[in-house]
Order: sequence, then structure tokens, then C-alpha cells
Amino acid sequence: MTDSTASPTRFDRVALTGALVTLVGAAVLPFVELRANRLVPGSGHSLAAAGPWAFVVWGVIALAFVSAVGPSAKARSAASTAGAYGLVAAIAWALGAAAEGLLADMSPVARVSVGGGAWVMLVGAAILGFAGAEERSRFVVRRAGPVVLLVVAVAGALVSGGLDRISLAREFAVRQEQFVSLILGHLAITGASLAAGAAIGVPLGLLAARNRRVRGVALAVTGVIETIPSLALLGLLVVPLAALGAAVPWLRDLGVRGIGPAPGFIALALYSLLPVVRNTYVGLTSVDAAAIDAGRGMGMSRRQLLFRVELPLAAPLVMEGLRVAAVLLTGIATLTVFAGARTLGILIFEGLGQFAPDLILLGALPTIALAVIADIGMSALARAVTPRGVRVAVQTPAPTFAEEAAA
Amino acid sequence: MIRLENVTKRFSEKTAVDGLTLEVPEGEVCVLIGPSGCGKTTTLRMVNRLIEPTSGRILVNGRDVMSMRPEELRRGLGYVIQSIGLFPHLTVAENIGVVPRLLGWEKPRIADRARELLSLVGLEPDSYLRAYPRQLSGGEAQRVGVARALAADPPVLLMDEPFGAVDPLNRERLQAEFGRIQRELHKTVVFVTHDIDEAIRLADRVAIMRDGRLQQYDTPENVLNRPANKFVHDFVGADRALKRLVRIKVTEVMRPAPQAAIDDAPEAMRERAGAGRFVYLTDDEGRLAGWLDTDDIRDDAVADAITTVDRLQATVARDASLRDALSRMLGLGFRSIAVTDDEGRIMGEVTFAAIEAVMSEAEEHRGPTADGEGA
Ligand SMILES: Nc1ncnc2c1ncn2[C@@H]1O[C@H](COP(=O)(O)OP(=O)(O)OP(=O)(O)O)[C@@H](O)[C@H]1O
Ligand SMILES: [Mg+2]
Repeated sequence: MTDSTASPTRFDRVALTGALVTLVGAAVLPFVELRANRLVPGSGHSLAAAGPWAFVVWGVIALAFVSAVGPSAKARSAASTAGAYGLVAAIAWALGAAAEGLLADMSPVARVSVGGGAWVMLVGAAILGFAGAEERSRFVVRRAGPVVLLVVAVAGALVSGGLDRISLAREFAVRQEQFVSLILGHLAITGASLAAGAAIGVPLGLLAARNRRVRGVALAVTGVIETIPSLALLGLLVVPLAALGAAVPWLRDLGVRGIGPAPGFIALALYSLLPVVRNTYVGLTSVDAAAIDAGRGMGMSRRQLLFRVELPLAAPLVMEGLRVAAVLLTGIATLTVFAGARTLGILIFEGLGQFAPDLILLGALPTIALAVIADIGMSALARAVTPRGVRVAVQTPAPTFAEEAAA
Repeated sequence: MIRLENVTKRFSEKTAVDGLTLEVPEGEVCVLIGPSGCGKTTTLRMVNRLIEPTSGRILVNGRDVMSMRPEELRRGLGYVIQSIGLFPHLTVAENIGVVPRLLGWEKPRIADRARELLSLVGLEPDSYLRAYPRQLSGGEAQRVGVARALAADPPVLLMDEPFGAVDPLNRERLQAEFGRIQRELHKTVVFVTHDIDEAIRLADRVAIMRDGRLQQYDTPENVLNRPANKFVHDFVGADRALKRLVRIKVTEVMRPAPQAAIDDAPEAMRERAGAGRFVYLTDDEGRLAGWLDTDDIRDDAVADAITTVDRLQATVARDASLRDALSRMLGLGFRSIAVTDDEGRIMGEVTFAAIEAVMSEAEEHRGPTADGEGA
């Protein structure tokens, strides 16, 4: 991955790949598809349909090639990053312009949707972004920068109306309110089940680390849960929850029903257990035995040992488990709609039912974005809870004291 | 004071410690030594109750350890574990401050204590206080481990191979420093080691164990001169006479040395030599600058008979052992060597003949005891 710095050939293969992918996307594949209405197949149109904006896109592609052969690793990285953002912005505007032009004398039900070429170019932009990020990929926050900008750019384009005539944007415009509430619903069920998973999983991992019998049971059971297909697990939960809700009215008032958020919430919490329990267990058991021995020998009580030695040293791995769980749950949350939860999955499955690819994308793209954001956010959190003494050693070879004294 | 009374520890089948009775008087260093698996660590860890004895009694300062809360007992016993066990997530200062924090000391007091202890173990506080364990070399980490054990000023120290992971050169330095610290602090110390030289160097009493049983508990001199049985005799090794030299300070066999100032008149130098052959020549601060060999004086040309030397190479410090002196003399081909005080001034000299006399004295003890009882 570090060709940009290590290779003596002085060009960045990752950036070059990104640029080539973008070039192919722009030159060979249709940029947009024009359809007489939402449901019929369309005809492809090249980038030229965007008029003057096409030249802007070509200009940025040229910049991407330059970024691959820049004079220094730093310059190459800066150029790839600029190229990546530039591409996303230029493609967004070009899409708007192409739609505008193509729909000028068409009926109102006609649609322009994003073509294969545009998608391939976006993939190329992402590759460029990674090439640019390489130099600095140690810093989660900087890694988060490109993603946040990307989301803001796309959301901005959607909201500002620049993409109004693009089919995806039209789906969005129609369902704006629903879309926002679904994103919130998605976040709520994922966050709540992750919190529940952590509240159960961390203590369970702790018990597993302390007690052999608990370990056997906890790791086996959470492992089995992970292998149950999501829909099957939801189905298994619906019936008893329905019965429970029917039998205990105050529980039903709390939302415990066969159909609704309850089965989804429980299923997601269960899925989060394996990564959380296992990482907590591994984190605690891999704490240096000598440190524990020293702590005991110095007169720490069990509690003090746990809070002052074991948990701080296990925290990075525990957080890593929560990160994995967060990404996992963000994806699976789309499926909870089958048991009545309201998440972005609704858009995806409605789209599938109606053969409306843009509707599917309206659900799928934000889900992916949420997963990426969860990933980055939790990584940043993991970094924050990693004790410095451990981090120093892992991240950079620490200066020896001779060196530090000399400096 | 630590007393073990008929202490036994059994792990299911294996008897790790078998009827051990041992008393470490206050302010003394007891070194536990023996082959791997003989029960040294088990013995040490029974004192702070990390392991509980199967039978027998252990008293620390007159109190049965089983009658005390383990946490409280341990906070009063400094413990250096074999694998150092510094907390990787805490700085050096925080590592040293662990027990004081458990005891509820005020922050400024803990900080002052950490500085004080780092200086004591020979680490510059300003460069080490905020360092993390992974930034330390093995020897530096060992020192921090010792500082941490000393933090709350416990009267008793339990040290399990504290210098085990250090190269021989640094190990000797740490041993010398330990000796210095112990002369200053007078702790009651139980010190575990594999290294007989280390035991002889540091111990007031050596406890030699084998298969959980005590073989001999005596001063290093007696262990060397009068091994209790063949096991101890073999364990100590064939070079016992040489080892004995480790226990004797150069100042014990030092004799006055003829000295003259290097800018004295040739006649005055010669006169100082008296009947002897050599005169040490000193600079104006009384430190060695060279010597005059009166046998080399031809036609009264005294200047030609003067050899100037590197003062640090050609002397030994007052706290050096006879073994240090001997190896220095053999290395340089000298028949005698000057002993210097802390300021580097010449105090006297140690001769090869004096060392030989000590060694043959040790040989005399050897025959009857070792060969008689051993077989
Ligand atoms: N927790 C335990 N369970 C079972 N046997 C043990 C346990 N701890 C120690 N032993 C056994 O007791 C004996 C003494 O062990 P101990 O650790 O005291 O030896 P040691 O003298 O410190 O050895 P070394 O010099 O190798 O450190 C060994 O045979 C060891 O295998
Ligand atoms: Mg041991």
C-alpha cells in the first residue's frame, strides 16, 4: 500500500489506477441514462451530454494523471486528494447539466439516471482519495475528512437542487421527509441495540475472562447466534414477542410487539454480542500477566486491578469489538424492516419490489455512508481510549533516550 | 524481620517447598538461591501471600501474615517481580506512584517521591519521569521496578531475580548500586537469584535450596569456606577461592603506599621510596599521575624512570572487591595497584602477594569440610 513512498520508480500506482479507472468510465461507458418514464429501460448518453461541464470533468481527469507522477510523495498525495474532491464535484454538476439538457423537450415523467460511466468515475475518484490519504492514513481524523466532505458534497448537491432532474434526486425529492425519518430510525435502532449489546457484552466478556465455564458457554452461544441468518432470527423473535406483548399489556405499551422495533432491536443486540464479548474476553486475557502479577503484589484489590490495570489495557480491543459491531449492525438494520422496524431498508425493499433501481440506491447509498461513518467514528474513539504508553509503542518507534537527550 | 517456621507448600502432587525454616534479621539481605524449580519463587510469594502455605507459619515483623488482609500486607512489602511488570499504560512517575496512591498520599508528595527515587536508582528524573515503559531499555526498566518497590518506603523488600534480564556488565553496575542503596536504607531484603556470584556479592546470608529443602543458610564466607554438604560444595563451584575475593574489600588488605608529588625534586621522590622499589606520583590534587621505578634510574636521570598513566585505568576505587583489583592487575600486568578514595586521591595500595595470602587462607579451610561430609 505504500508504493507512493517506497517505490523508487517515483510514481503512485494507486493514483494511476484511480485515474485510469476514471478515464475508462468517462470514455467508454454511458454517463447518464435517459428514460421515457421511471420504469422502462433507458438509452445511454456520453459525458458530452453535459455540455461545457464535460470539459471541466476532462480537466480534472487530466489532473488525476498528473497526481500519479508528481515530483514528491507529498505533492502526489495533495494532487490525488484534490483530484478526488474535484472529480466528485465536477461529476455532480455535470450530471445536473446533462439531465437539464436531455430533459429540455421531454415529458415530465421522463427521467435521467446516473449511468454506469458516472458510477465508475466515482469509484475512480474514491481510489484517488485513498491514494491521497495514504501518506497520512495513520490519523483517523484525517481519514474521516474526505468521507465527511464527500457526504456533504453529495447531500449538498441533492439539497441545493443541482441534481434535481437526476432520477435519484427525484426519488429523494418525493420522499424527503420519509428519508430523513428513516435515517433517524436507522440510527436509533442501531445505536440502541449497540448500547444494549455493549451493556451486556462487556460484562459477559469480563465474566468469560474470569471463569472458564462462563467462557465456554458465552463464546459458544454468541458464536451460534452469529450463524443464524438474520431473517430467521427475526422470525424466531416475532412469535414469542407477540405472545409476550399480548400477555403483558404494559410491555406492549413499551413497544414489545411481534411486529415493530422490538424484534429488530433484540436481533441486532444479539448480533453485536459476538464481536463485543470476544474482543472484551481477548482484550482482558491478553493483558500482560506480569502487569497483573505486579498489581496484585503491590496490594491492589481485584476492583482496583480491574479498573486501573486490566480495563485500560483492554480498552483498545473492546473498542475494536464495538467498531466491528457498529458496522455490522448498520448493515443488518436494513433487514429489520421485515419485522416492522423503520429503517433505510424500507427504501431498498420498496425499490426491489417496484424494480426501481434509483429507489434502491436511495436506501443503499446512505446505509453504506452510515457504515463508513460508524467505522471511522469508532476508530477515532478507539484511538482516544488507547492509553498513550501503549499507543506510542504501537504507532511509532519511540525515540530512545539517547536520541531524545541529544535532541 | 521475617520468620518462616516449618513452611510447606504442596501443589497437588508436587511439593514445592518442604519444611522450610528461615529467619531474616532486620536490615539484612537474605539471598535465596538454588537450581531452577527448587522453590525460590514459591517461598518469596508466600511471604506476601500471593501463594498461601499448605502448613507452617510466616511472620513479618512479628505478625502472622495469615492474620492480615492480603492487600494491606502487600502494600507494606516492596515487591520486584522477576519479569519487571511495569504498567505499560502508565508513565514512569505513575508506575512509581502506584502504591503511594493506594495508600492515599497527596499528589505533590507522590511526585516528589518519584523524583527522589529515580535519582536514588541512578536515573535522571527530568528525562525519565514522563517516559513510558516501552521507551526504556531492560536495565532502565529494572531500575524503575526497584524504585517502584521502594516507593512507599516499605521496611521489607521481596526481589525475584531483579537483575535477571540484564547483560553482565549492567548487572554488575546494578548490583553495585543495590549495595549502595542498601547501605543507605537498611531494608530487610529477600532476594532471589540464579547467580551465585550475585548471591555472594550482595548477601548477608545465603539460603541454598534444593527440591524445596534448605541445604545451608549461612554467611557467604561460611558457604564458601564450609559448605554443609556435597550439593552446596558443587553448587558453589570449583573457583570458590576466587569467589571469596568478591566478599573482601580492597581496603581490608590495603597497605600504605609511598607517594610523592610529581613536581617534587628527584631526590625527594627517591627518598620517599625508602627500601621499596616504586613511588606513586600524584598531581596537585593528590590523584595518581604516574610512578617512579627506582630500579630504572640510571646515572641519576630520574625523569627517565617516571611512567605517567591514565589515572582511572590504573587504580581501583575504595569500594572495589579484591576480585576487581585482581582482574585489573592481571589485565595490566601489575604486581600492585593503587586504591583511591571518592575524590580519586590515593589511599594506599593492594599487592598481588596480599591477594595470594587471602586465597591460600581460603584453600586451607577447604579439605576437611567439603570432602569429608560430602560423599
Ligand atoms: N501454581 C503452581 N502449580 C503447580 N506447580 C507449581 C506452581 N507454581 C510452582 N510450581 C512448581 O513448584 C516448583 C517450585 O517452583 P518455583 O517457581 O518456586 O521455582 P523457582 O525456584 O522459583 O524456579 P526458577 O529458578 O526456575 O524460577 C516447581 O517444580 C514448579 O513446577
Ligand atoms: Mg522463580
